[in-house]
Amino acid sequence: MSTDQSTKTRADAEPILSVENLRTAFYTDKEVIRAVDGVSFDIYRGETVGIVGESGSGKSVTARSIMRLIDSPGRIENGRIMFDGEDLIEKSPKQMRSIRGGSIAMVFQDPLTSLNPVYTVGNQIKEALRLHRGLSGSKATQEAIELLEAVGIPDANRRLREYPHQFSGGMRQRAVIAMALACDPELLICDEPTTALDVTIQAQILELLEELQEERDLAIMFITHDMGVIAEIADRVNVMYAGEIIENAPVVELFESPKHPYTQGLLNSIPGQGLGEDDRLSTIEGDVPTPNEDPTYCRFAPRCPKAFDQCDVVHPKPMSVGSDDTEHLAACLLYPEDISTDEAVAIHRDGNTQRGDN
Amino acid sequence: MSRWQYFMRRVLMSIPVVIFGTTITFALIRLGPLDPVSAILGTQYNPEAAEQIRTNLGLNQPLWSQYFDFMYRLFTFNLGQSWVIAPGTTAYELIQVYAPRTIWLGFWSVLIALFVGIPLGFYAGLNPNTPSDYFASFGGIVWRAMPNFWLAIMLVTALSQTGQWTNGFFTWQSWIVKTNVVTPPTLGFFVSPLESFMQNPGEWLNELVRATKQIAPAALVLGSASMGNEMRIGRTAVLETINSNYVETARAKGVSGRTLVWKHIFRNALIPLVPIITGEAFLLLGGSVFVETVFAINGLGWLFFNAAINGDLPLIGTLMYIFILILVGTNILQDFLYTIIDPRVGYEG
Repeated sequence: MSTDQSTKTRADAEPILSVENLRTAFYTDKEVIRAVDGVSFDIYRGETVGIVGESGSGKSVTARSIMRLIDSPGRIENGRIMFDGEDLIEKSPKQMRSIRGGSIAMVFQDPLTSLNPVYTVGNQIKEALRLHRGLSGSKATQEAIELLEAVGIPDANRRLREYPHQFSGGMRQRAVIAMALACDPELLICDEPTTALDVTIQAQILELLEELQEERDLAIMFITHDMGVIAEIADRVNVMYAGEIIENAPVVELFESPKHPYTQGLLNSIPGQGLGEDDRLSTIEGDVPTPNEDPTYCRFAPRCPKAFDQCDVVHPKPMSVGSDDTEHLAACLLYPEDISTDEAVAIHRDGNTQRGDN
Repeated sequence: MSRWQYFMRRVLMSIPVVIFGTTITFALIRLGPLDPVSAILGTQYNPEAAEQIRTNLGLNQPLWSQYFDFMYRLFTFNLGQSWVIAPGTTAYELIQVYAPRTIWLGFWSVLIALFVGIPLGFYAGLNPNTPSDYFASFGGIVWRAMPNFWLAIMLVTALSQTGQWTNGFFTWQSWIVKTNVVTPPTLGFFVSPLESFMQNPGEWLNELVRATKQIAPAALVLGSASMGNEMRIGRTAVLETINSNYVETARAKGVSGRTLVWKHIFRNALIPLVPIITGEAFLLLGGSVFVETVFAINGLGWLFFNAAINGDLPLIGTLMYIFILILVGTNILQDFLYTIIDPRVGYEG
């Protein structure tokens, strides 16, 4: 789970998931909301990629776009989602069904409501086993027991016959994870899986995910708004703001030297980082804007303490923060930092995207 | 506690409700302005005869002793005789004549509501904000808004004149089998169904079709409000379920559309519909008085109405007792259905 290790895997392998220039928009009577607008990132086998951002920044829509779970009035408008070398956007609904829960599984935010209350936990796990692995009867039961044991639910045989309301919150999330793992997925998408849980249970679930990742060489996409959780679990972090990824870096690098003013603001607003008694916690003023038009400017500019005139007319592209640093990208006119700001602005304006990692 | 223990407990708990209901009934008919003796004698009233009848019927006894007598008879199902409508006929015999028609009517109106209202509601909920949803929803509201008595009269008027309107092309009365628009259904074929079916299946089926056709307009009217209700609630229930997290989890698991609807959505959407459906038993009892009168069906509703306006006290008491039993019974059935559909419903408390 260290950064070095992930860098090593990154260098000599193909990404399992590669999202390129994804745009998902929702059509309302008033406007078209680009919930995800030109997002690109990669996930490699065995690594955990975190996606952080405020509510409404497009994290969950990104996840649902990958799963192709976007319903009308939402639509994937642009981009490619390459999974194992195939574009998920071109898959038929039937092909997509066998991928969902098969090679890509998803764990949702609220464990209290993500299990169907009228069926036993066993029934719901066995449903996944039957769908993707054709198991039924006692074989499925045996497999389900093993899954529950694997996620640390004691007395699995009895628990299998119980209903979700007989499980505690943490146990339910374990059951949901067991269900997601039923068909040995290659990629696990976790949409704020620990947000609804208390801190002790949170730590247990994170630990469980790490163990499972090691055992099964899982790629995990982990969505959260909690920087602490990200620091704990992620190898690489994408910071989202108003539908765009504005910074992408290995986790240690991101926390040690955040480059984008938004990321800096986020990290400064976490309590307990060497604050004296009289110091006030710094905040980012204002709200996330609704991304409803083509970006011709920096969407963070109105709230940015470092904004200058060009920020309102040039849209920043994700770029290496320094010419020798290919692992750390930021979408801000201040970067790359080793050339003058005017030159940097010119590069951003020309749309000359130099992506560090490909 | 097992399901059966729970069930037994519910039955025991309903006994006080039945006692309370019958007590209120007794209070209403004995303490109200009705004088059974005048009702029996009608225009031939004279004081001696009245005194004679009063003694015979035990109306001179103290009220509490009459009350205990009344309760004891009902609870031992010694349901007494009619005093005014059909003097000397036991309530049993009257119910045997009138109840089958009401049951036949109730059966069809519940069935129509169930098999039209719920599928329509579920369809609308699965295809929200489409033209067909708007059509079904609008229909549901209109259907629900039409009062029983008005719809009944309009339907009778319309059906009676189908012949004139279509120049004899389609006449309701002679369509398939010959029937009247306003008539009690002929249910004789139900007396010993197996035997008469074996003897003459064609004739038996003919009778079944006839009885169904006779009851259809009344059942449509009686079921209309509940049909609209079930449609609306069904639509809302489906919409609520379809947007719930567990349905999304199931989709993320790769469950196909059909399984999603039938396994994950359907059963959850049924939960709020259970009390609506069982609550209809009550509506059907009350509403059937109107509808039976308009369609001249002469069922329990009609019998109860006449017993009430004629002051036939023992008959009212008996019918009320039966209505109370039916209501309490459907309530127990409702709780029982809950425990089957929704595992979260506990057996405690």
